[in-house]
Amino acid sequence: MTTHIQGAAPQAVAAAAPPGRRRRRSKDRHEALTGWAFLAPFVLLFVLVFVIPIVVSVIESFYKRVPSGGGLFGGGEPVRTFIGMENYAEVASSSTFWLGIARVVGYAAIQIPIMIGVALALALLLDSFLVRRPGFFRLSYFLPYAIPGVVAAMVWLYLYSPGMSPLLPYLPDGFSFMSPGVILASMANMTTWTYTGYNMLIFLAALQSIPGDLYEAARIDGASGWQITTKIKIPLVRGAALLAVLLSIIGTIQLFNEPAIMYTANPWMGENYTPMMMAYNNRNLISGMGFSSAVSVMMALIAGLLAVVYALLQRKAD
Amino acid sequence: MSTKLATTADGLQYRPSVEGMPPRSIAPKTPARVITTVILVVALLYFLVPIAWLIIASTKNNADLASSFGFWFADMNLADNWTKLMGWTQRMFPRWVFNSVLYSTVAATVGTLLSVSAGYAMAKFKFPGKNLTMGVIMGGLLMPIALLTIPLYVVFHNIGLTNTMWAVIIPSVVSPFGVFLGRVYAESSVPTELLEAARIDGAGEARIFFTMVLRLLAPAMVTIFLFIFVATWNNFLLPLMMVNSTEIMPVTQGLYGMMSYFAPDKGAVMLGALLGVIPLILLFVFLQRFWQAGLAAGSVKG
Amino acid sequence: MTFKRYMKAGALLAVAALGLTACGGDATPANTPAAPAESTPAAAPETTPAEETTPAESGDVVEIEYLHRLPDNEGMQLVADVAAKWNAENPNIQVTTTKFAGEAGDMITKLEADANAGTAPCLAQLAYGEVPEMFTKGLVMDVTQEAAKYRDNFGGAFGMMAPGGVSVGLPQDNGPLVYYYNEVAFKELGIEVPTNIDEFLAAAKTAAAAGKYIVNFTAQDTRDWLSAQAAAAGDAWYTAESDQWVVNTNGEGTQRVAAMWQDLLDNKATATHNRWDDTYTAAIGDGSLIGTIGAAWEAAFMLDGSPTAGQWKVALLPDFGAGQMSGPWGGSGVAVMKGCDHPAEAMEFNNWFNTQLDALASQGLVVAALGDVETPAAIAEAFGGQDVYSVLAEANAVMSDKFAYIPGWSTVGDPVGVAAAAAVDGSGKVADIFTAAGTASVKALKDAGLPVKE
Repeated sequence: MTTHIQGAAPQAVAAAAPPGRRRRRSKDRHEALTGWAFLAPFVLLFVLVFVIPIVVSVIESFYKRVPSGGGLFGGGEPVRTFIGMENYAEVASSSTFWLGIARVVGYAAIQIPIMIGVALALALLLDSFLVRRPGFFRLSYFLPYAIPGVVAAMVWLYLYSPGMSPLLPYLPDGFSFMSPGVILASMANMTTWTYTGYNMLIFLAALQSIPGDLYEAARIDGASGWQITTKIKIPLVRGAALLAVLLSIIGTIQLFNEPAIMYTANPWMGENYTPMMMAYNNRNLISGMGFSSAVSVMMALIAGLLAVVYALLQRKAD
Repeated sequence: MSTKLATTADGLQYRPSVEGMPPRSIAPKTPARVITTVILVVALLYFLVPIAWLIIASTKNNADLASSFGFWFADMNLADNWTKLMGWTQRMFPRWVFNSVLYSTVAATVGTLLSVSAGYAMAKFKFPGKNLTMGVIMGGLLMPIALLTIPLYVVFHNIGLTNTMWAVIIPSVVSPFGVFLGRVYAESSVPTELLEAARIDGAGEARIFFTMVLRLLAPAMVTIFLFIFVATWNNFLLPLMMVNSTEIMPVTQGLYGMMSYFAPDKGAVMLGALLGVIPLILLFVFLQRFWQAGLAAGSVKG
Repeated sequence: MTFKRYMKAGALLAVAALGLTACGGDATPANTPAAPAESTPAAAPETTPAEETTPAESGDVVEIEYLHRLPDNEGMQLVADVAAKWNAENPNIQVTTTKFAGEAGDMITKLEADANAGTAPCLAQLAYGEVPEMFTKGLVMDVTQEAAKYRDNFGGAFGMMAPGGVSVGLPQDNGPLVYYYNEVAFKELGIEVPTNIDEFLAAAKTAAAAGKYIVNFTAQDTRDWLSAQAAAAGDAWYTAESDQWVVNTNGEGTQRVAAMWQDLLDNKATATHNRWDDTYTAAIGDGSLIGTIGAAWEAAFMLDGSPTAGQWKVALLPDFGAGQMSGPWGGSGVAVMKGCDHPAEAMEFNNWFNTQLDALASQGLVVAALGDVETPAAIAEAFGGQDVYSVLAEANAVMSDKFAYIPGWSTVGDPVGVAAAAAVDGSGKVADIFTAAGTASVKALKDAGLPVKE
């Protein structure tokens, strides 16, 4: 993503030319200070809102609440006890957890390419001057993201539920949005509906940052619209695309809303259908948040691993 | 259209742009236009059909929701749903919408500035600890936020901010995603030469950032602003933990509360959600003008 | 379970960060209205000897916070208004009520976080099924002595708020199972209200032959719905033996219930809508579902706006083989949370509030406190003028007092739901549901570190 070529050069120069060294060093220091100054406000709040809670959460994953008294109800004075990796061992040996991971990874492999592809295509079309009112389309595509999840849940339950759905009459007999074979696809449709416009905006913003004279210059050189798209625009939104995919991967590993909505109408799915559901639905255990935290941490590690693998593959392809 | 030709300084001929139109050179042909329009309209239907359903549903009562055809109106219960919405929320609904507008606006404004500033630092400066910080911020995205609100609540309790609007606003300001977007956009649309030139001219770093960089990043900022605004608007788990008083409750939490009872008046909830989306549409329309590509192009030329 | 050590570091960083936003935030409009000044309404009475709130004669005003999730809808007597009445009469015990705007599970999460932060409200509403585990978690207070004073005001539900005989609060409402039926449709089909399992099966088959269902099997909320039926059949799933839990989810009563449902499902003589899906509402409205076994509190809303409202009646459950009984689906009480500085005063209010029969009935509750309640007009109308609340009171009176919940009850619901869905689609049997409940119960107890006999 960033090029570090410039970073290597000054040091080499500095080593060869002692007189310039001090000036360089002070320039470097100035640059470092300025950089940190721009970064610091965010980082401080980030520590408060993310780092501390994460640290607390990770520490919690090594603990368990254990009754201290005897009797049927444990005496009502539990103690917080360090149990090492026990919570992790429980998660790692849970087939439900791994089944959930398999579900979300499969989901990611199919849903993300479709969503990102459609988002990019829509962004390119809207940016191509082919339509008169791109603003209207832009707004309409983004609108699903603006509908609160609680309400979108209600909408989709109505649209999907057998016996209720106004869509079913137009579909083959016996088709159900909620049958075990179809339900993941139905969820993928919900995700796509919600987030395509969102991803499209990421691409649009990247496209709009491209100076218009670049296209004009390309045209003068005889490039076709197709060539401009594939040779100029797509390469220039690479960074945004990488980011959109990485975030989609992380978001999909944490898939929660869609399956949780479906679960309310389909108890057969179980409350541990995805790892995130497992983490969330076990947050109130008698043994405390430890298990839930361990699930979250494992999930984070897997998501991180997948994100790194994707980023490396992408770099190799470049 | 005009077939007038112009000549560049080095002798090449081209069709110059017409005021108010896309640059002539990249204006497309009619068949392409038709195909594009068809594709865009199909996509439009896909995205808007559920919303059309939502609009219709907000005029129905529970019985009609269960029995009447989803894509057409039954008995008009709009006024009734409004009464129920106001009744259930004990007339707090408008206040909640106001709260949400306030929280989302403040969070999005501050959050956008912080994100763009951090992203700019990442993209355009070298400093020790940069990659580590980047990694940690990325790592922050990996943990599910829903579960972090619980320890976060304890943190905010310790600084005495629970049950205040700050407990909703401050966490919403922090958007790792915004930083990454800021970085990606800054890399592609803030030319380093331009920064160097400004520095040689003696401009201070703060001035460069506020007068030049922010302008170059306008489309990116609009995007980040929208994302943080909507994310703040839709987040109900955070206020659910942080806020007790009905006076400072945001609207989505209120709707969630309404939904979490037996047999909620669903039409009323949907009406509430729709009314909640209106400020967002207005905002979007207002932000349209900052989307224009010209802004960026103009300043690069300089 | 304290995060205090980390929090100290956090607080320091936070202060630094706040200072920073204050400087850097000139984009923030300066006129943002300050948050309503009530950061800690009743948090720490010990540090506030001279509260300025209500002028009290004796000077010392006790402040009690009460967190509930009653509906508080229009037309009901609002909790805050009822409390205001108390506050006017009791200047020395001032109660602040807060309605929690989320689901019951969210409220547990919130209460636990509050307890960790040391700001738990004095009083909180808890479902009966949650009480044992809240006790094991160490989040509720032993108020046995105080509760004993008020025992006579409450019936059998008093024990629901006393896991292992230790009272942690007082009961508020009960959910005995009853049988709702569409009287008009019953007459058309010429069937009588069934009074035992055999009659029930016969009536269901008669109706099914005419394309109607006199009952619905739900795979949603099945845990409480079926355990209540097991209780009504005379079983208790959880008993104690020499200080160990004994789990038996497959007693004779439970088997009778299982056989009945298996018969109904096999013969397609029951509807199978999820209780909270709109298909259920639609089925009641279009007249295809003409009877259902439900909780007493469903009377308050199940016929809202339904085309068949007015045609329905309430009756006691059929005899499930152990005499005329009922079982509990839900119901809740108000517990005193640990950390409460004035448990005696809190319990005084607790008792008073939970004996405000009419106010509680207006919230749609079947009140746990003893005494007669008039059927609210809207409910009477939905049930063709019937004195619904007298039937509900009868059901309340015959509710099994043997059925107690275990700590970990909250984790039993999901496996039961999975098995129930399998029973509905034919891939499993009704008996499997109870097996699943047993397995999950033993696991829950073990995970909680409690003694369980296997």
